[in-house]
Amino acid sequence: MRIIFILLLALNFLLAADYPEAPSYMSTSSLGNDDFEKEFTNQKEANIIDPLSGYNTIMTTINDKFYEYLLKPTAQGYASIVPENTRTGISNFFDNLLFPIRFVNNLLQLKFQNSVDELERFVINSTIGVVGFVDVAYDSFNLKAHDEDFGQTLGFYGVGSGFHVVLPLFGSSNLRDIAGIFTDAWINPLNYITARDVNLLKNSEQSLYVTGFYTINRTSLRIEEYDNFKKDAIELYPYLRSFYEARRTKLISE
Amino acid sequence: MKHFFFSLLFLSLTTLSPLWALHENEITSFMQKNMDEATSILRDNKLKKDQKAEKLFSIFDSVFDYSLMSKLAVGGRHWETLSPQKQKEFSQVFEQTLKTSYMEKLDLYTDEKLEIVKLEKIKETRIYLTTHLAKNKEVYEIIYKFYKDSNNNWLIYDVDVLGVSIIQTYRTQFADFLAKDTINNLIIKLKNKDS
Repeated sequence: MRIIFILLLALNFLLAADYPEAPSYMSTSSLGNDDFEKEFTNQKEANIIDPLSGYNTIMTTINDKFYEYLLKPTAQGYASIVPENTRTGISNFFDNLLFPIRFVNNLLQLKFQNSVDELERFVINSTIGVVGFVDVAYDSFNLKAHDEDFGQTLGFYGVGSGFHVVLPLFGSSNLRDIAGIFTDAWINPLNYITARDVNLLKNSEQSLYVTGFYTINRTSLRIEEYDNFKKDAIELYPYLRSFYEARRTKLISE
Repeated sequence: MKHFFFSLLFLSLTTLSPLWALHENEITSFMQKNMDEATSILRDNKLKKDQKAEKLFSIFDSVFDYSLMSKLAVGGRHWETLSPQKQKEFSQVFEQTLKTSYMEKLDLYTDEKLEIVKLEKIKETRIYLTTHLAKNKEVYEIIYKFYKDSNNNWLIYDVDVLGVSIIQTYRTQFADFLAKDTINNLIIKLKNKDS
């Protein structure tokens, strides 16, 4: 496992170099002095290296079918039984539990104030907020969560995204973010890892159920948004890839 | 009296004819006014969804350069190979695609707050207007990208939502589609999506 991780990371550093500029014929002169073409072709997304595009397209379809025929109906059924504010509470509970990932990654990116905010949020929400169900930290103290993951931390230190990879179930990712997922998994309390000293859960079976429940609850709060977002797609795979890469670049820059 | 009438007519023609010409120093106030108006339209429960959309489009249509957006989405090189009629046909269909997508977003609108955050002049012919849409705990950043046309008029050619360029997203998809299929089929596909 560790070897795969190191290999991925090494490969990634190799690919981290900037992509070559778009050839000059891409910028047409027909727009007068305005170099619109350059503006859109010079973005990294336009010159993206996508060696896995064949596999990625297939995996996107599989993930989409999984969402449409299994996850979405399950989440909808669940939503019809459990009222929305309960689901929001459960979502808050899990978000609170995942505090270590945000705390550590803010710290690694030298965003000290954010780490302090996260720590305060964790203390307040775990106590007054009834083990995280109520986001008192935001409601009463206006303390917002600062989402950061290890993929963003790598990006913060200049690691390039590497090529795009669609993961089974996880969906859109790239080499850098896969390295991030593996690293964050270490400090994710919802995982069961034998090599880790402390585990909240008893075994990997429990971990699987809890993560499944977390995913269903989370999905149930976002069905409308996601369906609406998906409606804009003309070609699902390039749409999701383009959105994901641009969004991640933006998140890293923040 | 007749004189007065004609001079009034003349005056209104000269001042009103470039009704949609937007100058650099007016961008913020223009957008602020229109966003306020848009918010009140969105909150008006008496209006149906398509009525709302119609009112919103009548406000914003004048500042969106749909034909440039179409050209950028298809990509200059490919665009050049199309006949003027095809370009026009595509632009009309693509404008509808953008509007349909926007209308669908209206369903998600509840009572978000819209505000202008900053206006940045990127270069002589580009201005970015950053706005924030606040919904519950989250703040979504929306950037309207303006360019200056040959008449010194500022028009929107792209919108960034959460750091993602709408035109770039279409451009990637169209490039993928056109690599294996024709513009005619793309037009058909977009038409089917809109209906």
